[in-house]
Amino acid sequence: MTATSLHLELPTLTPEAETLRQEVRAFIAEERSSGRLPPPHRIGLGFDREMTKRIAAKGWIGLTWPRQYGGQERSALERYVMNEELLAAAVPVGAHWVADRQSGPVLLKFGTDEQRRFYLPKIAAGDLTFSIGMSEPESGSDLASLKARAEKVDGGWRINGRKIWTTNAHRAQYMIVLVRTSTVEGSRHAGLSQLIVDLAAPGVTISPIISMAGEHDFNEVLLEDVVVPDDALIGKEGNGWNQVSAELAYERSGPERWLSSFRLISELVDVLGPDARAASLEELGRLISHLLSLRQLSMSVASMIQQGQSPNVEASIVKDLGTKFEQEAVRVVRNIVSAEDLISNGRAERLKALLIHAQQYAPAFTIRGGTNEILRGIIARGIGLR
Amino acid sequence: MSENRTFFRETVERILADTLDKAAIDAAEERRLPSSLYDALVENGITLMLVPEDKGGIGASVGDAAVILRAAGEAAAPGPLLETMLGQRLLADAGIDLTDGLLSLVFVDDSAIPAEGETEWRDAAIHDVPWSEAVSHVLVVARSDSGARLLLTQADGWTVTPVSDAAGEPRDTLTAASIPVVSATLGDYDALLRTASILRGAQILGAIEWSFRRSVEYAGERKQFGREISKFQAVQQMLAELADHVLASAGITEAAAEGLNASLAAAARSRLGDAADAAILITHQVHGAMGFSLEYALNSRTRRLMAWRDDYGSVLHWRRALAGNFAGLTRETFWPAVSDAGLPGAA
Ligand SMILES: Cc1cc2nc3c(=O)[nH]c(=O)nc-3n(C[C@H](O)[C@H](O)[C@H](O)COP(=O)(O)OP(=O)(O)OC[C@H]3O[C@@H](n4cnc5c(N)ncnc54)[C@H](O)[C@@H]3O)c2cc1C
Repeated sequence: MTATSLHLELPTLTPEAETLRQEVRAFIAEERSSGRLPPPHRIGLGFDREMTKRIAAKGWIGLTWPRQYGGQERSALERYVMNEELLAAAVPVGAHWVADRQSGPVLLKFGTDEQRRFYLPKIAAGDLTFSIGMSEPESGSDLASLKARAEKVDGGWRINGRKIWTTNAHRAQYMIVLVRTSTVEGSRHAGLSQLIVDLAAPGVTISPIISMAGEHDFNEVLLEDVVVPDDALIGKEGNGWNQVSAELAYERSGPERWLSSFRLISELVDVLGPDARAASLEELGRLISHLLSLRQLSMSVASMIQQGQSPNVEASIVKDLGTKFEQEAVRVVRNIVSAEDLISNGRAERLKALLIHAQQYAPAFTIRGGTNEILRGIIARGIGLR
Repeated sequence: MSENRTFFRETVERILADTLDKAAIDAAEERRLPSSLYDALVENGITLMLVPEDKGGIGASVGDAAVILRAAGEAAAPGPLLETMLGQRLLADAGIDLTDGLLSLVFVDDSAIPAEGETEWRDAAIHDVPWSEAVSHVLVVARSDSGARLLLTQADGWTVTPVSDAAGEPRDTLTAASIPVVSATLGDYDALLRTASILRGAQILGAIEWSFRRSVEYAGERKQFGREISKFQAVQQMLAELADHVLASAGITEAAAEGLNASLAAAARSRLGDAADAAILITHQVHGAMGFSLEYALNSRTRRLMAWRDDYGSVLHWRRALAGNFAGLTRETFWPAVSDAGLPGAA
């Protein structure tokens, strides 16, 4: 790919997608009026098993998957529309997010029919939470340098290693780990494999790590002689790197990459009212213009994926831009709040709480799921620089 | 892209390639219009493309015109192309017949214009007027109580004080103790400004895209420390960041040119403002001193970005307008409004 081939297609939303949007809005309105969805005081996907069950009951987890595995065979754009509606309304979706976005699709693409039949319907029913076991204490951006290993034993694999920053490991039933299963001369990427680990298995020790935002979301997961059966292997032994690369591409361009601080903007708009200073409107207008353009890109990528293209560079661009936007939004809201003196007069307690939490949370936006420097390396390669 | 649109674009790209070279671009700084370019554009009906078919034009859409102007922006084409294309359309809308000559066009929000029915404009003054000496007529779109008024004046009736924009193209101050006007009522002033702004936005986008592409190429050509500078991570990171801006501003600009709703158009110009700023900084940084020389072609695009960035509503104007569309909404109604505005065709 060269600079000239950055590619975009204007998305057109089907009537089905718009119908689904209205259904999701109706669901949200009902959740709100019944008091189950109070306006948020915090940033983040949240974690609420009951909410996940209610979303599952609508058929909205595994929306695009084949019916035989509990899905609805709807389009990627419909899934996109559903997700942006849920995220913009700050519906807690953390209990199924990773399984729906990543673990399920990986099983669908690389798993055996047996694995799909076992896991996917449970995910779609909202019963399973998955964690991602990639990062290690010594392997972050340089994931291929990871040290966790699995050796072949009779009827399965024995895993040893240490995973870190594992979101939801303390709440999930399963973790898909990336481990080394063989050494291939001359290639760091060959010889890695993905295995499904039951987090309740003997030898698994999960220790909390509290984030600077004061939450227990991620963990350190120690794996000591953890034995998993043969059918815990996803795809082919040694093909883990390719599988993970495909997986990471799924997570780059979704609306979760630019809506994390949206609730802060909507809260500001609510509190600000119609009579703001020109300078505040200028800052807010700039933010909204970036929001609208990100949404346009994110929809385009979803639409291109649906047509069978693989817009990997474009997806990396969405994530680089989107996560920077999420941080920028925090700065801008903070400035408007002080310029307009919104907090000191006591009419904005929720905004104040959200702003504090968003500031504490914001550093993670440009790190999680691969740092922006690494993303820009991918973009640079895509435009022909490396 | 529709068949028609592809045809328009290929036609104009061919014309630009055949008629516009560095010397012709540079001559614009001496107030010389690239006349072979404009002869070809007129001959191929491009200047009348926005005029309805039953009035002698092609009846093309704003989206079609945006594609043409994007190509013109890439090529750093000087002269009143946008002004003529849109001006001819406004004349047709107003029911005024004119030849297929070139036009200049300005928008005035708050200056004193003659009352309805008057045929003379006394103590007239307009600023920032493109290429007034190269056109037959100067059009003024003015805000009025009922919406907008179009004032048609003979270009040679004005006294011209020459002023240049950052690209060296004429943007004159025109004055007249008294000048004859033909005037007509047009629709909504803000909607007209929006159309002009998105067409200028397309030119801005084209100039950004050219600068980006040229810089990526240059990074692969220029060697320092024994290797291409494209191999340095600092250079890669800068250009990746610019790629972000290019893609983001292209998407919203295309959507705005198709949908033309108030929020998309405002968002496009706001987003393009940031993209233009980044393009100027990053493409020059990548080029080192070479890009700073007048001789090298980069400045023919980046100086146009400087000239165009705040045309037809400044970047800040569009940001205020955009925020104004959402001010007063609640935490629950804000998202549906953003979401609906983001779909081409929405109100
Ligand atoms: C909130 C949160 C949740 C997470 N959840 C999970 C999870 O569930 N599962 C999981 O496996 N991981 C998870 N992670 C970990 C995440 O994937 C890593 O943080 C990320 O890949 C970066 O690795 P690192 O933190 O070790 O940083 P490092 O790789 O040490 O990077 C430090 C800095 O150096 C820069 N850098 C490194 N290499 C280069 C290079 N080649 N060129 C230029 N700059 C470079 C980086 O960009 C960064 O700025 C989570 C992280 C966060 C913050």
